[in-house]
Amino acid sequence: MAISKDVYKEFEDVVGAENISDDPVIKAAYRSPDLTVVLPGNTEEVAAVIKLCNKHKIPYKAQSTGWSFMPPTYDFIFLDLRRMNRIIEINEKNMYAVVEPYVISAELQGELFKRGMICNVKGAGSTCTALAMSGHGHMGLTTSTGDRNDLATEWVTDEGEIIRLGTLGASDEWFCGDGPGPSLRGILRGGGVITKQATKVYHWPGPSEYPLEGVSPRYTLGKKPSDLNMMVRYFSFPSIEKLVEAELKIGESEIAFELMGFCPSMVSSNITTSNEEDFATLDKFTKEVQGPGFMVIIAGNFDEDFAYKKKALAQIIKETDGKSLKTVEDPAVESTLLFQCTRVCASIRETFRAGGMFSSMMVQGQRYDNHVKWLEEGAVLKRELIKKGLVIADDGQQFGWGEEQGHLGHTEIFCRFNPYDEKSSKAVQEWLGKLGKRALDGCFAVPAMGVLPVDEIGKRVSNYHVWFGKLKKAFDPNEVGENTGYSYVGADISGVHTSIYKKEPEKASPKQ
Amino acid sequence: MIKKEKLVEGAKILRAGKLIEIVGLGNVFSGTYHVEKTPHSIGFGNSFRTAFVVKPRNSDDIAKLVKLANDTQTPLVPVSSGPPHFRGDSAPGTGGAVIVDLTKMKKVIRVDRAHRVAMVEPGVTFGELIPAVKKEGLRLNMPLLPRKSKSVVGSMLEREPVVMPKYHWDISDPLACVEVVFGNGEMFRTGQAAGPGTIEEQWAAGGAQKTPYGPGPAQWYRLIQGAQGTMGIVTWASLRCELLPKLEEPFVVGSPDLDKLFELVHWLVRLRLVNECLVLNNSNLAALVAKKWPGDYQDLKDSLPPWVLFFNVAGYDYFPEERVSSQIKGISDLTNRIGVEAERAVGRVSAAEMLKTVQRPSAEPYWKLRYRGACHDIFFITTYEKLEGQIGVMQELANEFGYPASDMGIYLQPIVQGANCHCEFNLFYDPENPSELNRVEELSSFAVTALMATGAFFSRPYGKSARMIVNRDAAYVEALTRVKEILDPNRVMNPGKLCF
Ligand SMILES: Cc1cc2nc3c(=O)[nH]c(=O)nc-3n(C[C@H](O)[C@H](O)[C@H](O)COP(=O)(O)OP(=O)(O)OC[C@H]3O[C@@H](n4cnc5c(N)ncnc54)[C@H](O)[C@@H]3O)c2cc1C
Repeated sequence: MAISKDVYKEFEDVVGAENISDDPVIKAAYRSPDLTVVLPGNTEEVAAVIKLCNKHKIPYKAQSTGWSFMPPTYDFIFLDLRRMNRIIEINEKNMYAVVEPYVISAELQGELFKRGMICNVKGAGSTCTALAMSGHGHMGLTTSTGDRNDLATEWVTDEGEIIRLGTLGASDEWFCGDGPGPSLRGILRGGGVITKQATKVYHWPGPSEYPLEGVSPRYTLGKKPSDLNMMVRYFSFPSIEKLVEAELKIGESEIAFELMGFCPSMVSSNITTSNEEDFATLDKFTKEVQGPGFMVIIAGNFDEDFAYKKKALAQIIKETDGKSLKTVEDPAVESTLLFQCTRVCASIRETFRAGGMFSSMMVQGQRYDNHVKWLEEGAVLKRELIKKGLVIADDGQQFGWGEEQGHLGHTEIFCRFNPYDEKSSKAVQEWLGKLGKRALDGCFAVPAMGVLPVDEIGKRVSNYHVWFGKLKKAFDPNEVGENTGYSYVGADISGVHTSIYKKEPEKASPKQ
Repeated sequence: MIKKEKLVEGAKILRAGKLIEIVGLGNVFSGTYHVEKTPHSIGFGNSFRTAFVVKPRNSDDIAKLVKLANDTQTPLVPVSSGPPHFRGDSAPGTGGAVIVDLTKMKKVIRVDRAHRVAMVEPGVTFGELIPAVKKEGLRLNMPLLPRKSKSVVGSMLEREPVVMPKYHWDISDPLACVEVVFGNGEMFRTGQAAGPGTIEEQWAAGGAQKTPYGPGPAQWYRLIQGAQGTMGIVTWASLRCELLPKLEEPFVVGSPDLDKLFELVHWLVRLRLVNECLVLNNSNLAALVAKKWPGDYQDLKDSLPPWVLFFNVAGYDYFPEERVSSQIKGISDLTNRIGVEAERAVGRVSAAEMLKTVQRPSAEPYWKLRYRGACHDIFFITTYEKLEGQIGVMQELANEFGYPASDMGIYLQPIVQGANCHCEFNLFYDPENPSELNRVEELSSFAVTALMATGAFFSRPYGKSARMIVNRDAAYVEALTRVKEILDPNRVMNPGKLCF
C-alpha cells in the first residue's frame, strides 16, 4: 500500500468505503502497483480528494474513461471518474450539450442523433469521453475539434479549488466559457480535473439511428447511403500535390461533411474483420489506387443540397485527376464506412489489431499540406523498417484530414508493430525520434508528445515549457497534479524523461 | 482621447529622455489625456495627466518600452485604434501613465490566399485591411460597421462579435496567432507561430501562422484576448480570412415577432445556409443606412417593421448559381414553415444596400454618432430564448429613466455558430447636454445590474461596471490574478482595469 492507513481513512471519509480501494487485484487492473483508486461521485468529492492530496502532498491523476491510460509510476491517488456519467443537458436551440467525464461520445451522439444533431468525436473513437478537452477526429471538417468546442466548464484545480468558467460562474448557465475578461479556457488543459463541461454540437443531416444488420464483427447498414442523402467515396490521386489541391477545394467549397485522409491500409483495416482479410484487401486496394487518397462523406440537408454537393465534388475530382476506388462505391462497403466513420468505431482495427501496438507522429491543428513534405520523409524511413520486417507492411503512408472546412487540419503517420518484440519497439522509437528532430530542424511542427525531451522542444518553440512551468507552479504549488508538461487533457503521454520538473518518486512518496 | 497632443519640448525632453532614446524624438508626445464624456468612463469629464504618449515603430521599440516601464514602475496603456475611444479601456486608470499608441505600426505583413490567413500590425485598420485581402480573393469576418479608425487587432483582442456566424466557430475567431510582449518584458508567440523557427523560416517550410492553440497544453491567446491590455502588448496578430464569394444574394425579413425571426436564425445558422446574418431594430437599421439627417432617418425608421433580419446567401468557385439556388430552396422551406417572408427590401431599405453597408467600415461620421452626436453601448452575450425578456427589461428601464425606448438602437448578432447571441443596446444622446448624459449614465448602471439578473453575460465588461462584474466570482478572480502575476508581475500593464 502506498499510503498509510490513516491517510487512506481520510480519503475513504470523502467517497465512502465502497468507492476506494487499494486491493492488489484492483491495482493490477489499473496497471500500477502504487496507486489507491478513488471513485468520486461528484465535483465536491473531486475537490475534497484533491485537497487531501495537497494536504498530504500525494500526487494524483484523473481518468475519464482511461482510453489513453498511461499511469505514471509515481502516482498514488487515482481518480477514476466513472461514477460521474450524466448527460446534464442537451440544448437544441443553442446547440450545446453538457456532460460529465464518463459520458462517452457514443452515448452523447446516440442522444444527439435523435434530435438531428451530432458532436465532435475524437479520432480515438466514440468510447472516449465526450468532454471537449482535446480531441481531433474524423468529422473535424464539420464539427471542429475539442480545443475549440468547449463552452462553460466546471474545473477543479490542482489545489482543489472549484472554478466555474464563463456563464457558469456568472449565472449558472452553460452557453459561454469565456470571461468576464480574459478566458481561463486558456489554462484548462494544463492540469486539474474537468468535472462538467458544455460542448458545442452540430447539425446532423443523417438518420436518427443507424439500422444495423448482421452480427459482430460484421455489421452492415440496412440502408443504402444514397437513400439517406449521403455518399461515401474514396479517391486516389496521381500525386500528393493533386490530393492537396482537391482537399483544399473541397474545404473551400463547403460541400463535404467529412474528409478523412485515410491511406488505403486504414480503409482496408476499417472494413475487414481479421488481419488475413485486411492484408488481402490492402493488396487489392494498393493495386487499384493510383497514388495517395482520401475518403469523403457528402451529406445533403435536403435534396437540392445533396445534388449540388455531389456535382461540385465530381467537378473538383475531375479537375484534380482523382480516381474513385470501385470497392467503396459498392453500397455495402460504402454503408459500412458511413456508420464506422461517423460513429467513429474502428480505431482499434486501424491501430492495434495488426501488430498489437501502434506509435504515432501527429500534428494537430495545422493543415495537412504544411506537413506533407516532412511526413513523406517519415514514410520513406518507415518503409525501411517495413523492409526489415520490423513493423507491419502497410505501404507506409501518412494520412490527415481537414478541420473547420480546411482552415485547420491534422496530419499523422504511425507504425504498427509487436510491442513484445524489443527490436521492433526500439526501431519504432528511433524512427519517432528522427522524425521529431526533423520536425524541429525543418521548422515544420512541434513533434508529437513524448518523442523528445520537453526542454529540447521548448527552447525551439518560444520557450513555452518555461511559461507552462510557471503556470503549473502557480496552480499546483504542491506538485500533486499532472507533471509531464506535455500532458494535455484528452491526449497524454507521461514519460518520466519528459517531465518538466522531474520528481523523484521516492521524494514525492508519502510512504510512512 | 488625447487632447492637445504635442511633441515634447523644453524641460520635458529631459524627463522623456529614455522614451526618446527608444522611439526617437518625433514619436514622444506630451499631453493631457482627456477622458471622453461617456458613461463608460471612470469619472468622465476628468483629465488624467499622462506622463507621455509614445508611438513605437516596431516590436523592438515595444519590448524596450515594457522593460523601461518595469525598471521605473511606470504604467503603460496600449492603444491600437485611433480616436474616438468609447469604452474607457484605453483611458488610463491611474495618473502618470505612458500611453503606448500603436497607430504608427501599420504593416500588413502578409496575406496568404492558400492558407486563408493575414498577418497585421496593431495599427492596421479595417479600412486598410479590407482592400489588401480583397486583392488576394479574401475577405474579413468583421464586426458590424466598425469605425474607420478601428484597429483590426484591437477588435479581435476585444472579442468583438462578427457578422458571419457560420465562420465564427469559436468565440476567439477570427484571431489566429499573436506576437506579444508580456508585462514582464518577455516576447512570446502563440499557437502555430510559436515555432520551431522564425516566422520567415516557417513560411519557407510551407507553414502559416494559423492554428491558434498551443504551444503545449495552454491556449495563450485566450489569456491575452479580453484582457484590455492588462497582460501585455501585441505587436502583430494573424487572423483567418474567408473566401470572396463569386455570387451573393442578400435578403431581409421584417417582423414584429422576434421569436419567429430567431427560429429562422437558428436554422439558417445551424444548416450553414447563410454568411452575414444579423438582426436590427428599426432605429438601428435606419441609423445604419440613413444618408440625410435627420429627415431621412425618421422617414426610414417609419417605413420599417420593429425587427429586421438581414442575411446573405453566397456561392463560391463551383457552380455558384446552383449553390445559391439550392440554398434559397432550403431557406424558402424554412420561411414557409415558420411563417415569415424573405424579401429583397423592407420598407425603404433594400437588402442589396444592406449588403454593401455591412461589408465596409462605417463612413464618417461613425454611424452611432450621427443621430445625436454620441452613443453609449450596453452589450452582453445571451441565448435566443432570453432575448425577448431582456429587451423588455431594458425598454422598461429606459422609459423609467426618461429615455424614450423607441429611440434606442438594438443589434442582435448570433455568434459562435448559433450557440450564443450578442445583444447590444445603443443609447444615442447629446454629449453637450449634461442632463441627457446623466440620464444615460444612470440608466446604464441600473441596466447592467438588472440585465445580469436575467442571465445577461457581460463577458467583455468595460468602464465603471467592469469591476463589479468581474469581481462577482472570487475563485475566478483569484485564478486570473495568478495568471496576471506570471505575465505582468510588476503590474505595469494598464493598471486599474478589470480586476487588476
Ligand atoms: C487508438 C488510439 C487512437 C487515438 N486517436 C486519436 C485521434 O485521432 N485524435 C486525438 O485527438 N486523439 C487520439 N488519441 C488520443 C485520445 O484523444 C485520447 O485517448 C482520448 O481523448 C482519451 O479520452 P479519455 O479522456 O476518455 O481518456 P483518459 O485516458 O481517461 O484521459 C486522457 C488524459 O486526460 C486526463 N483526463 C481525463 N479526464 C480528465 C478530466 N475529467 N479532467 C482532467 N483531466 C482528465 C487523464 O489524466 C489523461 O491524462 C488516440 C488514442 C488511442 C489509444
